[in-house]
Amino acid sequence: MISRRVLEIATAVLTGTFGATVAISSLDNGIGWSTAGVEAGAFPFLVGLIILLGSLYNLVRSRLDPPQVSITRADMRALLALFLPAAAFVAAIPLLGMYVATAAYMLGVLAVRPAVSRLKALVYAGVTPLLLYLVFEWAFQVSLPHGVLGEILGF
Amino acid sequence: MENVDALMHGFGIAVTVPHLALMVVGVLLGILVGVLPGLGAPNGVSLLLPLTFGMQPVSAIILLSSMYWGALFGGSVTSILFNIPGEPSSVATTFDGYPMARDGRPTTALATAFGSAAFGALVGVVLITFLAAWVAKAALAFGPPEFFAVYFLAFASFVGMGGYPPIKTLVSLSIGFAIAAIGIDTVSGAVRLTMGVDELVKGVNFIVAVMGLFGIGELLIATEESFQLKSVSSRVDWREVVRTIATLPRHGVAMLRSAAIGCWMGITPGGPTAASFMSYAIAKRLSRRSQAFGRGEPEGIVAPETADHAAGTSALLPMLSLGIPGSATAAVMMGGLMIWGLNPGPMLFIEQKDFVWGLIASMYVGNIVAVVLVLATVPVFAALMRVPFYLIAPLILIICTVGAYSVSNSYLDVLLMLGFGVVGYLFKKLSYPLAPLVLATVIGDKAEDAFRQSMLMSKGSLGIFVSNGLVGSLMAAGLILLLLPLLLQLRRLRAPKPSFDQEPSP
Repeated sequence: MISRRVLEIATAVLTGTFGATVAISSLDNGIGWSTAGVEAGAFPFLVGLIILLGSLYNLVRSRLDPPQVSITRADMRALLALFLPAAAFVAAIPLLGMYVATAAYMLGVLAVRPAVSRLKALVYAGVTPLLLYLVFEWAFQVSLPHGVLGEILGF
Repeated sequence: MENVDALMHGFGIAVTVPHLALMVVGVLLGILVGVLPGLGAPNGVSLLLPLTFGMQPVSAIILLSSMYWGALFGGSVTSILFNIPGEPSSVATTFDGYPMARDGRPTTALATAFGSAAFGALVGVVLITFLAAWVAKAALAFGPPEFFAVYFLAFASFVGMGGYPPIKTLVSLSIGFAIAAIGIDTVSGAVRLTMGVDELVKGVNFIVAVMGLFGIGELLIATEESFQLKSVSSRVDWREVVRTIATLPRHGVAMLRSAAIGCWMGITPGGPTAASFMSYAIAKRLSRRSQAFGRGEPEGIVAPETADHAAGTSALLPMLSLGIPGSATAAVMMGGLMIWGLNPGPMLFIEQKDFVWGLIASMYVGNIVAVVLVLATVPVFAALMRVPFYLIAPLILIICTVGAYSVSNSYLDVLLMLGFGVVGYLFKKLSYPLAPLVLATVIGDKAEDAFRQSMLMSKGSLGIFVSNGLVGSLMAAGLILLLLPLLLQLRRLRAPKPSFDQEPSP
């Protein structure tokens, strides 16, 4: 269970870190004035500083939030049930290629559903990459990654 | 009437068989993304964008803008029939639309929504027809300081009028600027903010950000909403449609007021979402039947719908004439314009007359096509809502992944998209606005260039931003909007607490 306050703090830390990174990394580009005008780092530096200060404000502000639950255990489970397979799918793309990864992903998420029969899951897992192929590779001639597996198989 | 001639010429371009077909396709795809949870107008349009690269710009923009109209209408269908807003801007429509539909009058609710939406869109297009060319002409005299002032005003109005916590809006906006700065600096050629990742030299494409923030983010949000569809009958009774639309003029005052609010919020980028909420709140306060609001009051549907569509349509005015998009979807379309090799802004009205007037004319036709199609397809798309979420979710995820990849055939973009998805989820959850982030990602570079060019002109003096009346007043208006939340807060601290503040939070 995660409270609103924890979520606010986590987000503020995330944005604040991003702001600080942007500001610090802009220093390399120079943040002053040169003969060519305002140097390349000045604008991002300022922006990074605003993000950092805004995040600090949000961080302090989060103390005022009531510690009510924002993501319940059931919410978290539903979230992870969507996100983890999705992350695995994305991670598998360089290896398996888009088509095989898509098929495996669809099969994986549908097979665990008691409401979906094995046959139905297989059909969806087969049809989805086929549609992708027809729309992208065939109709619009956009090549999707075939992955290491594709290279081995010469696809 | 120069504008009317140009518009007639535009109709000649827009009303051809291929373009009408594109409108139908665009509207249907738009309704589809509008209806599906997790897909909305901004990422729907981004998904379609790579497929338009080979098209004529005018055909491409007709397709994309029709998709936008479709999505605006589609969002209302689910709001009314299922109490699930398909688009953020149709949240306010659920307040009275769903109760009315639940009480056995779904056709009345839908017809009221579409009728007033069409009116709002019409007001927006008429405004564009007569004002856009004039604004563009005025903007031809603009130099870098004036442009920066207009950008500043646009960004400030998000903070002052967007309806989100001002500091969170500022953070979101600045993150957009930082993302826009990644890669090669357009002025000096220096490489910025790549953090040692070579592939980032090409920058982060706004489409990738939109896919993640809106697509994946909304999908993650949607897992938490229990999809117990308490749907009402989705059969449309055409006689009832005609009868309802005939009674709409009774709400003429509310419609005109809502259209005005919508146009204002669309042009100064407050966006359709803020417009619909504001319009609903004002209608409720001014109505004699304010007690009936929330229980199926027609004016409670008329107000947000009119404002939503007026804002969505008029958001294209600053995009065309100044190069500043008035909403997240308009920002995506403007990104498309730049990819097709057009230069959004005042020169568009001189160099690309066919494009501009073809688009404006198509907005009249496209909205009529949208109303007819959305009414005709309500049962079909309502049936789509019964497809279980566990099937829809992975499909949307795959579509977004392929969409992000195909922008520039880069796997890094897919990873970035997933990261943006998490950020989008957190931001949605904690009411950080996403539209300013997207807007800043698209036009951040231009705003920065305008600022740096101004500084070069003035040799580093900020005085250039008050050097003439126009720039001075634009900057002043921007500053006022930026400080507005602070001023309001100070006033609230001084005044005795109003009673509604003491209500226990639900």
